[in-house]
Amino acid sequence: MIELSVLDEIIYYILRPEFFVPVIFPGLITSMILLLITIWAERKIAAKVQLRFGPLLISPRIGGLLQLIADLLKFVFSEIIVPARAFKALYILGPALLLSTSLLPLVVIPISTSIHYSLYVIGNNGAYVPIYVNFSLIAALALSMLTPIMVIMTAWATNNRFAVVGALREGFLMITYDVLLIMSAFSMAIIYGGVDLFGFVNFQSSHYLGILMNPISAFVFLVAMLLGSSRYPFEIVEADTEIVIGPYTEYSGLLFILTMGGSYIKTFVYSILFSVIFLGGWLPFSGGIGALFTVFKAIIILLFSVFLRSVYGRYRIDQALRGAWKLMFLLAIISMVLSFIWRWFLVA
Amino acid sequence: MPNEKDFKVKEYKKMSDPLTQFVNHIRAIETGFKYLVKPNSRITLNYPYQEMVLSRGYRGMLRLYKDICIGCTLCAMICPADAMKMVTKEGKKYPVINYGRCVFCGFCVDICPVDALTETGVHDAAFTSRKDLFFDVEKFNMDYQGEKLTGLVKRVKAVTDPEKGVKYEPVDSNRS
Repeated sequence: MIELSVLDEIIYYILRPEFFVPVIFPGLITSMILLLITIWAERKIAAKVQLRFGPLLISPRIGGLLQLIADLLKFVFSEIIVPARAFKALYILGPALLLSTSLLPLVVIPISTSIHYSLYVIGNNGAYVPIYVNFSLIAALALSMLTPIMVIMTAWATNNRFAVVGALREGFLMITYDVLLIMSAFSMAIIYGGVDLFGFVNFQSSHYLGILMNPISAFVFLVAMLLGSSRYPFEIVEADTEIVIGPYTEYSGLLFILTMGGSYIKTFVYSILFSVIFLGGWLPFSGGIGALFTVFKAIIILLFSVFLRSVYGRYRIDQALRGAWKLMFLLAIISMVLSFIWRWFLVA
Repeated sequence: MPNEKDFKVKEYKKMSDPLTQFVNHIRAIETGFKYLVKPNSRITLNYPYQEMVLSRGYRGMLRLYKDICIGCTLCAMICPADAMKMVTKEGKKYPVINYGRCVFCGFCVDICPVDALTETGVHDAAFTSRKDLFFDVEKFNMDYQGEKLTGLVKRVKAVTDPEKGVKYEPVDSNRS
């Protein structure tokens, strides 16, 4: 009988996915660090494409990365102003709810196979996921669709006309991207013959990667992801040249960071979902390295989606809705047909 | 009488077919990537460490030559923004300036009959309080330098370049 030290026990409990995934990696702490790096990368990429320098004065050797820390400190110590006509409780609570609900889908998305540490095998049903459910695709999509409710709620609580216009836009877009996300994700579910994300990746390891089997579905998912997390060219909700910053107009200081972080973290979570469904998640690795690899793929998607800021302008709300319903919806139906063909081909 | 056809405005196609649109989107992203990986393609200056040599006629901050000034008040009269005022000091009138109002139009320099006012090449000034924006006679009589980095600053000159648009060439730091 091998004795286990107390340190091993502690590390075991830290590495349990119930704690490790939502809090440390890729949850709160990693997301927050990633948030800073992503915003820095967004500014730097946009600067590079537009032939500028970007943030550079602070720490020129690492490309001005510490500028974001300085910005963060500035925001943290700036005054939080609560408007007199706002609904105070929801005004304060809204950004925190927004951030936490945008992190929420991580609890059902498996990011790797179970991790081996010392004598332990850490994981649920062989997957490194906080809560193992065999309908995890539906659960993840459903949890990701809680954030628009929070956005609309914060906008209502701030009692600002720009915020209300922003919330209205969010409402319009929500209906659109929900349909596209669900249709593109379910067209992959048709190929796999199930709605279990862990099964998806196992299926991809024995067949082909999702993006190779159904590129149309991947494209629709990517566009719906950009729509849903208000990245360019669909930064319609937070259109800062039209409606200040949409639902978050009245926010300042720390609460503003939370609202801004919410939308970036939503992109990150959708990117993880994208990497699991279409890019094979942790393949070809498994265990701890696999988890890193899943997030690595997600970061590439995230960086691509922030890179689009430097390429595109912003679509108007009617253009985005028309494009989504007239073209993307059709493409989603075509991708479903393609998936049926694949299913028939794989079964036969 | 001109034909109606001559006045026809050429309209751009609103909705090309989706495939062409898709190809155009891909092309746009490709162009973005090309600029992203293009080495050394910056047209802005690394500002505090690189400084552009301005042309001779640059309308920067003003300065007064107190000994030349005859106190004719023309500069204060022509000033469209009411930035310049006359004050009496030791029995003689001198102009003083409030940079909070100045629009750098240079009318005062043009109208001065004895060339007692000139434009300096300094334009990058920042003040921490509104009182600092007001320059009295003694302050107005000196070249404004501000808080500049010394030693590290590279002075460059803008040159038009057929390929890049703008190119910067280093110049000797002693010249101005």
